[in-house]
Amino acid sequence: MTALPVGRTLVRLGPARLVVRHRPLLVGGVLVVLLAAAVVLSLSLGTPYVAPVDVLRSVSGAGTRYDLVVLDLRLPRVVLAALVGAVFGIAGTLIQSVARNPLASPDVVGVTQGAGLAATVALTSGAAAPLIAPAALAGGLAATVVVLLLGLRHGLAAQRFVLAGVAVAVALRALTEVVMLSADPIDGLRAQLWLVGTLAGKGWREAAYLGMTLLVLLPVLLWAGWALNGSALDDDTARGVGLRPVARRVGLATTGVLAAAMVTAQVGAVDFVALVAPQVARRLVRAERPPLVCAALVGALLVVLADLAGRRLFAPTQLPAGVLTAALGGPYLIYLLLRGRRKVS
Amino acid sequence: MLSTRDLSVGYDDRTVLDGLDLDLPADAFTVIVGPNACGKSTLLRTMARLLTPRRGTVLLDGTAIRDLPTRAVARRLGVLPQSPLVPEGVTVADLVGRGRQPYQRWWRQWSPSDEVAVAEAMELADVQELAERPVDTLSGGQRQRVWIAMTLAQDTEALLLDEPTTFLDLAHQVEVLDLLHRLRTERGRTVVAVLHDLNQAARYADHLVAMRAGAVVAAGPPRQILTVDLVREVFGLDCVVVPCPVTGAPLVVPTLRTSSVTKGSSCAAEFSPSSPSPPSVPA
Repeated sequence: MTALPVGRTLVRLGPARLVVRHRPLLVGGVLVVLLAAAVVLSLSLGTPYVAPVDVLRSVSGAGTRYDLVVLDLRLPRVVLAALVGAVFGIAGTLIQSVARNPLASPDVVGVTQGAGLAATVALTSGAAAPLIAPAALAGGLAATVVVLLLGLRHGLAAQRFVLAGVAVAVALRALTEVVMLSADPIDGLRAQLWLVGTLAGKGWREAAYLGMTLLVLLPVLLWAGWALNGSALDDDTARGVGLRPVARRVGLATTGVLAAAMVTAQVGAVDFVALVAPQVARRLVRAERPPLVCAALVGALLVVLADLAGRRLFAPTQLPAGVLTAALGGPYLIYLLLRGRRKVS
Repeated sequence: MLSTRDLSVGYDDRTVLDGLDLDLPADAFTVIVGPNACGKSTLLRTMARLLTPRRGTVLLDGTAIRDLPTRAVARRLGVLPQSPLVPEGVTVADLVGRGRQPYQRWWRQWSPSDEVAVAEAMELADVQELAERPVDTLSGGQRQRVWIAMTLAQDTEALLLDEPTTFLDLAHQVEVLDLLHRLRTERGRTVVAVLHDLNQAARYADHLVAMRAGAVVAAGPPRQILTVDLVREVFGLDCVVVPCPVTGAPLVVPTLRTSSVTKGSSCAAEFSPSSPSPPSVPA
């Protein structure tokens, strides 16, 4: 008899022994295939239409007459979309695990509003375009620090974390409205558009930046994936088995809001992904908590599809990806809730 | 193996324990009893380093527990809090496996010794047939056995349990206490539990600690210390103490306070303690 629960395999990598769950592996594989298909679809649809065969040849460097369209115009945006979704998926998973609440997301804990206020101030005060993202990042981080400090007084307990976040978020949103209303109408509109979140006019620079973010976060994420296992236990039980729940929560929350702030600063509030991706992933793998990698893949898939739909549905009018992620993700979450009520409750 | 020296613990402005010195014997089943809010759970939780004392120390085999890394403590001391939060959708085997946490790292998530310890813990607590069931679908008695299995998988010399029988019916209470008794006699573990039921305490404990208002009133084998006077002093309750017909352990039977309930029965008169009228004890 093996004591390792069914559906898991022990993987030995040199001295390391890692427990791998079968279902997330399977789900992850399917998601990678779907994501690849979505990327190809996104590269091929549009004006001009490029046949998937030509897309594949262009991407593999064979050189076609569509290179300009596929590689220079569409690819940067698709890669950016995938990265945005992945980072939001990870951020959402971490934030939800600390908040012990499937409805928590970066905009519940104040990150989005902090970034939004700073970006609005920057946009309406005539700051140069390259300054918007750094300003938004600073705003998101500042809001994060306030939320964490407020939450820390009680060991960053779930309720405390959410309450502090909501309070900060509401205050910042009110301030943003004030700034927007008192600004020049054109600037106000630009700020409004930024707040909704869009990938239009963005590309390699933002993608490279997010890729770096993921790379830097990678070792932390390896730890986080393991640490999330213990997050289902209450504090006393966790201490009993030698965990340090407060330190772990602070680590997970900090990583989550940092990631959220980084990505929000680049593309604005596409953050509905952060709410929905972990929950979709959790239900797909039928686990008690969202698996990080699958949540990242679901997020990537969702944003790639949302961006594609935003570009094509009402072409030539482009809808911001932030609107579409909500429109796509919301109904799917409702469907999962209705269908999975008995299995995963 | 567990001792406290000058231990003071409190919440906000309320002091619960004040300068407590206590030694708990190794290889014994110790039961802590006392009225509500006497500090027995606080004492247990402080010994399990779930609470930080204001003053004084908890010693684990002579070493101050707060000087030891929490993982090291978790390999020697298992804790079962009063009503642990049941995680959603986690299977029994998975939850019991989490007892192995103090032996694992993210790069060393499972080893043969984990496998042996988990299998043994599940067998001992008799939860093997529940292995693949989600814990949140189990009954209260089954859940409690699963939690105990988790702490057993920790493979510690000592086990601290905070009211492990609360919310269980009588049959399940006995089942849990029998399991703890077997741990002590068959596996040589040190078991410390807070219990509400004096008679269960007297039946199972090798060592009884009676507390009142944050202080230890008496400590020792139940047959020596559990007397009419002790019950009156600790609980403010008049009773008779008779030998249990099954085990011979002291059995505490409260006397009746109002004559209306006795109606025609002479039970209270026959068994009332022969000592002169008791001094009034504050409730």
